[in-house]
Amino acid sequence: MGVLLVLWGQRLRRDRWQLLSWVVAIGAFAMFAAAAVTQTYGNVASRTEILQVAIATPAILLLRGLPRGADQGAFTFFLIYAFLALLAGLMSTFLAVRHTRAEEETGAAELIAATPAGRLLPTAATLLHGATANVLVALAVFAGFLSQGLEPQGSLIAGAATGAVGLAFLGAGLLVAQFMGTSRGANGVSAALVVLAYVLRGIGDATGTPGAGGTTMTEGAASWLSPIGWGQQTFAYSGNRGWPLLLPVGLGAGCLAAAWFILGTRDAGASVWGTRPGRAAARRGLRSPVALALRLQAGSITGWGVSGLAVGLLAGSLGNAIAAIDTPDTSITAMLRLMLQSQGTSLTQLMVSVLFSMAGVLAAACALQAVIRLRQEEAAGTAELLLSAPVGRVRWLAGYLLLGAAAVVLVVGLTGVGAWATLTGSGDESMPAGALWQTALAQLPAALIYLAVPALVFVLWPAATIAGSWALLALGVMLGIFGAMLGIDQSLRDLSPFAHTPVPQGDATDWSGAWWMLLIAAVAAALAVGLMRRREVGSP
Amino acid sequence: MNTVVQTVGLHKHFGHVRALDGLDLEVQRGEIHGFLGPNGAGKSTTLRVLLGLARATSGSATVLGYEPWTQAVELHGRLAYVPGDVRLWPNLSGGETIDLLSRLRGGTADSAAYRRRKNHLCQVFDFDPAKKGRAYSKGNRQKVALIAALATEAELYLLDEPTSGLDPLMEEVFRRELLAAVGRGATVLLSSHILSEVEVLCHRVSIIRAGRIVDGGTLDSLRHLTRSEVSFAADGLDAQALARLGAVHDLTLDAGRVRFTADSDRIAEVLPALGTLGVQGLTIVPPSLEELFLRHYGDTSLGAETRADTPADGNHGSRRHLLGARGRS
Repeated sequence: MGVLLVLWGQRLRRDRWQLLSWVVAIGAFAMFAAAAVTQTYGNVASRTEILQVAIATPAILLLRGLPRGADQGAFTFFLIYAFLALLAGLMSTFLAVRHTRAEEETGAAELIAATPAGRLLPTAATLLHGATANVLVALAVFAGFLSQGLEPQGSLIAGAATGAVGLAFLGAGLLVAQFMGTSRGANGVSAALVVLAYVLRGIGDATGTPGAGGTTMTEGAASWLSPIGWGQQTFAYSGNRGWPLLLPVGLGAGCLAAAWFILGTRDAGASVWGTRPGRAAARRGLRSPVALALRLQAGSITGWGVSGLAVGLLAGSLGNAIAAIDTPDTSITAMLRLMLQSQGTSLTQLMVSVLFSMAGVLAAACALQAVIRLRQEEAAGTAELLLSAPVGRVRWLAGYLLLGAAAVVLVVGLTGVGAWATLTGSGDESMPAGALWQTALAQLPAALIYLAVPALVFVLWPAATIAGSWALLALGVMLGIFGAMLGIDQSLRDLSPFAHTPVPQGDATDWSGAWWMLLIAAVAAALAVGLMRRREVGSP
Repeated sequence: MNTVVQTVGLHKHFGHVRALDGLDLEVQRGEIHGFLGPNGAGKSTTLRVLLGLARATSGSATVLGYEPWTQAVELHGRLAYVPGDVRLWPNLSGGETIDLLSRLRGGTADSAAYRRRKNHLCQVFDFDPAKKGRAYSKGNRQKVALIAALATEAELYLLDEPTSGLDPLMEEVFRRELLAAVGRGATVLLSSHILSEVEVLCHRVSIIRAGRIVDGGTLDSLRHLTRSEVSFAADGLDAQALARLGAVHDLTLDAGRVRFTADSDRIAEVLPALGTLGVQGLTIVPPSLEELFLRHYGDTSLGAETRADTPADGNHGSRRHLLGARGRS
């Protein structure tokens, strides 16, 4: 027991800031959402109205959740729960992999396994640590909702639902870590599972059946395939059911049992799916720093590209689905604008611009990962090997920036292709192809800022590259995409690049924001490249 | 131009820590120059400055006529480097890494000749190039960097403790291949903390201590610095008999064995006396670098030590500093 406590303590100590950030961010998200509901949709009438619109618009349900009445608590739960669960899921899978597979990969696990802690206890300690984290998340959500005057029992259920989803994915992460030989692979697969759960729930909710009164819905079958959907079935504030939470907790326990079984039978450091041997000689093309950068990032760029394509396909098909409902009258369109923080004249245009702003975030994440890779190369010492060959520091950095820019264009381009394909395929003519590509183009400047500014951070303050870049993106998304919904002041929201992404409206489009952002990105990139001349590589 | 590497008054400071403190180093064309010093003395920092990966705080460095910080790319086209702690891309195989580095150096223009060299080196180093970087042991990672360095011809080889992690058999292969490179006219700067390694390979050595060169020259000229430890079974020998050994140092009789030390360059003078005594179980151990440092530089450079570290109390304090972890620099 003493050993287990030591291992647990070491995990808490290692993660203290990271864990604190996750818990505080999730709690604050819940609190801001509840506050925004009070502020923006203060009375039952406005909430009823917006719910009626939402029920008629599957895309909103896909992104948000399942409407269960116009009561303030139920409305807040509908609006924000799925996001909170998504975050709790990601926190849990990253945590699980960080303390298991990643440790085995670096060899630190071997040091621990050679002590009386053995091979199994570290995973038990990780479970304890992850469970603690999810209890804290549950409490943070509970406190966030309660602080805005929502009723205690519903708030408790909402918090528990979020934490239970986290527990399910904690188990899933531990199980995936048994299969994958690398932490990168394990993180990728388990995070994809979390996103899949979000999407399955979304599809289920979007294909649900509206109930009487126009403010409630019954979920579609797909919601029952998703742990996030199970948590939603608690109907916090409107039904306050506890039993659905048995499902995610049970799933987590099942995954854990399977992981424990595999752990008990495999060698330390081994994995169910072994790593393949490599080539004895390099391909012809692997002969420049850019080629190496592409080789190292091909997997993640493909991942972001596929995500972009999926968002595009969704954008095109949803627009069509909405158009099929009825010819939308202007009041509904106006309402949607408010709800989605978006502009456009037809519902299709609205959906396209909302989903394309998601693609813009994906592209930005893809861009900053290129810079993060640069830093990881430096920290791992592989940059030293490369730069001892005739490769200049500046050329090295410029290669990554070039590749990052190409990846941004690729992600947004694939989104455009996806949307264009589904729009054309379904004969939706409410959005001309020209406007579609303009919308895609409009996403590029903000994403390029997330390439150039992290690059500048990398040059000036290398140690802050990874945490700083993600923090900048998180802040930008919170202010620029969710800012209005969270009731954040316009002057603050304007700090986010995403707030300046142009919304094409034919000739009336205001492109000035895009030009300014391009200028800022160009200046930051030029500064980074210029200062790189004077920067040491691999400095402590 | 016969001086290949030259540094004058090289300083490199990390905050208050002086990793290099006025380092003067000179390496001549065609020689294998040993760069000796304990861990944390500044060997790796020096190499990083010579490569232009780190910028000197003050002082100058010239390598092959280039200024490393501003002309790194031109310089790197003519040298090869083996880091002390080789880190590989986890998802690239060893063969791919070797090919990439060689191509970047421009050493694969004659691709048939390059392939032949690479295959030869993989064979003599008993190295499997088809494994992924993450799967290699320490010694095999070292081999990747060594093969990549030796597979293309360079004018200058900068080697940072190149044999760490290699078994004795592979050390021998490394020596053979390195001598072949020198036979082609290459120059080598070999950093090490193992005196015996430097002894078999190097023509000249420079000894670094706390960021400064404290001694240098040919190995013969440094021989006076080293003292070998001699020990044998005491079997019935008394103090009177031992007195015949003559001018030896630190003579002790302990646990049935007689021990003393003698200057390495005068060990032959002691041997006749040992023969007369008919000693049994004789061992002669060459000095370790640490002993050499303790004996010859431990006290003299204490003044310089205390500046950056805790006050040292005599020899004990200096040993603690010498062996203490200051991290790689």
